[in-house]
Amino acid sequence: MTTKESIQSAYIDSVLTTGTKPKSVYSFAKQNEMAEQEFYTFYGSFESIEMSIWTNLASTTLSEISAQQVWAGYTSREKALGFYYSFFELAKSKRSFITFSSKNIKRGLSTPRVFEGLKAEFENFSYKIVQDGIESGELADRKLFADRYKDALWMQFLFVLKFWINDNSAGFEKTDEAIEKGVNVTFDLFQRSALDNLFDYAKFLLYNGNVKQKFGF
Amino acid sequence: MSEFPKEQNSIPITKVQRSAKFVSTGLKVGGNYIKHYSKKLFNPDLNTDELNLNNASDIYDSLSELKGSALKVAQMLSMDKNMLPKAYSDKFAQSQYNAPPLSGPLIVQTFKKVFGKTPEQIYDKFESRSTNAASIGQVHRAELNGRKLAVKIQYPGVGDSISSDLKMVKPFAFRLLGMSEKELAIYMKEVEDRLLEETDYELEVRRSIEFSKACSVLNNVVFPEYFPELSGKRVITMSWLEGMHLKEFLQTNPSQELRNQIGQALWDFYNFQQHELRAVHADPHPGNFLITADGKLGCIDFGCIKELPDEFYYPFFSSTSTALMENKEETIKAFRQLQMILPDDSPIQVDFFAELFKEMIGLFAKPYITDTFDFGEDAFFTRLYTFGEKVAKMPEFRQARGVKDFIYINRTNFGLYNLLHELKANINTDTFKPHVVLEY
Repeated sequence: MTTKESIQSAYIDSVLTTGTKPKSVYSFAKQNEMAEQEFYTFYGSFESIEMSIWTNLASTTLSEISAQQVWAGYTSREKALGFYYSFFELAKSKRSFITFSSKNIKRGLSTPRVFEGLKAEFENFSYKIVQDGIESGELADRKLFADRYKDALWMQFLFVLKFWINDNSAGFEKTDEAIEKGVNVTFDLFQRSALDNLFDYAKFLLYNGNVKQKFGF
Repeated sequence: MSEFPKEQNSIPITKVQRSAKFVSTGLKVGGNYIKHYSKKLFNPDLNTDELNLNNASDIYDSLSELKGSALKVAQMLSMDKNMLPKAYSDKFAQSQYNAPPLSGPLIVQTFKKVFGKTPEQIYDKFESRSTNAASIGQVHRAELNGRKLAVKIQYPGVGDSISSDLKMVKPFAFRLLGMSEKELAIYMKEVEDRLLEETDYELEVRRSIEFSKACSVLNNVVFPEYFPELSGKRVITMSWLEGMHLKEFLQTNPSQELRNQIGQALWDFYNFQQHELRAVHADPHPGNFLITADGKLGCIDFGCIKELPDEFYYPFFSSTSTALMENKEETIKAFRQLQMILPDDSPIQVDFFAELFKEMIGLFAKPYITDTFDFGEDAFFTRLYTFGEKVAKMPEFRQARGVKDFIYINRTNFGLYNLLHELKANINTDTFKPHVVLEY
């Protein structure tokens, strides 16, 4: 029986064996002994298959990590770390496909189509942990900037993805290091730090310094 | 430990950043150090109080952010009290206790990689906060089938960073030891080899089982039980030993008798290994020992083992015997074998160094010559340090002497002496005697 999953694996098998996307939905369907029509009941295009594979990775990761006993006790920082580690652990099983799919992504500022679902899942998740972090006081609530935290996490995710694709250390240990160190730095920046105090102090001086001048002591 | 160390917020990311860290520290130290000549391998307290404290905190501040092998080097330097001024060693000694822990998710990740399971799936209970740092890893409490366990987890990428970290430590080592690059290279290699061995947790488990079995004949020495099936490349599971670290133990004001008992256990532990096993636990850092409630010495870390090859063991330990020392010709041959006297030394130099080393080893060997020895006496240590200082000032010592094996064996024995001194233990030193060869 044809399912979303069976089409996914047939597609992965096809692109990895031939090294290119199938010529057409028609030929792909024929090869897998189904009617072209049947294909469209599940997916609109090859791109949407790829998109769903990426999205599944994220949603599987999320359901896996939130099932861990320790999850509830984690800080936002740890939740972010947990997501990254589990995602790339899971991604190992589809590494070849990921390498293939990422290779076809055109460089640019906008989010590639195949990442759209993944990004939505990820942003949903990071928005939640950032909000939790701000509420608990773990992260600094900076006007304007706080809304951008989730974008920073997404950028970092893309960075680690690229790092992982190029990582050839045993067990991808280097990726673990990149995650541990990178995410920690990012969250350090999200936290209230000396810079906030400096900014605050500068603001204070700006206002109160002027007062002094106006009254001309 | 009542207080958890603060979790690390940032680790310098890349090698470049780590280098930068080292460089900036190097500069600071250089500044602090500018008026000072660094000293030789056998150097005691330098008595240059005005700058050591600054240096120590600068170096420590930077090393404590580095983790891994750099931290190990800090510990190593902190061990060699005879090589470093007290200000350094006190600061460095903290490195054992204050290394910031890794994140919970990384621990889960490490377990998944080693066992394919999370800690929760393996143990009945697992504390995700580490109790303390173990130089290249951290220790967690766990429980399985009602048994309390200690789980040691290694930081990722430690092995990789050792070589590059050591290269970066070199400038410090030059300043601190005053050796040339070429001389230093042989010693650095030795250190690197040992450090790399320490990252192999599978090897450590095998050795721990082997050594704790061999040492089980000793009185008052206990070891944790190791669980190879719950250990792997980067995780070691052992039973949890309850006890106090040396410092805490001493604060309880133990009786002389109890201090002697612990001291005796330490002496036997080390000398049994050196003379009977010919391989020794070469990390006599106070953090590697626990003193149990029933007055036993617990050894909890077999990461660093130094094997004693015959060509080092016999000439070195035989020279602790007066029978060899009275035969000048054979003594010189032994010293040549140890490269304490070098092939192109002139006859005057040969005589000079033979005398000097005889005095030095004679001093070191004092505990071996009598049947009992009181390590509580300051006089012996003062003599040791004064002698070291004298040697350090000698222009003849511009060149490094001695085979590479000396590094770890000195570290082991001076470390042992220091521990015994801190315990103020009066012990029988004739329990495990060196095997002596009188002709070379």
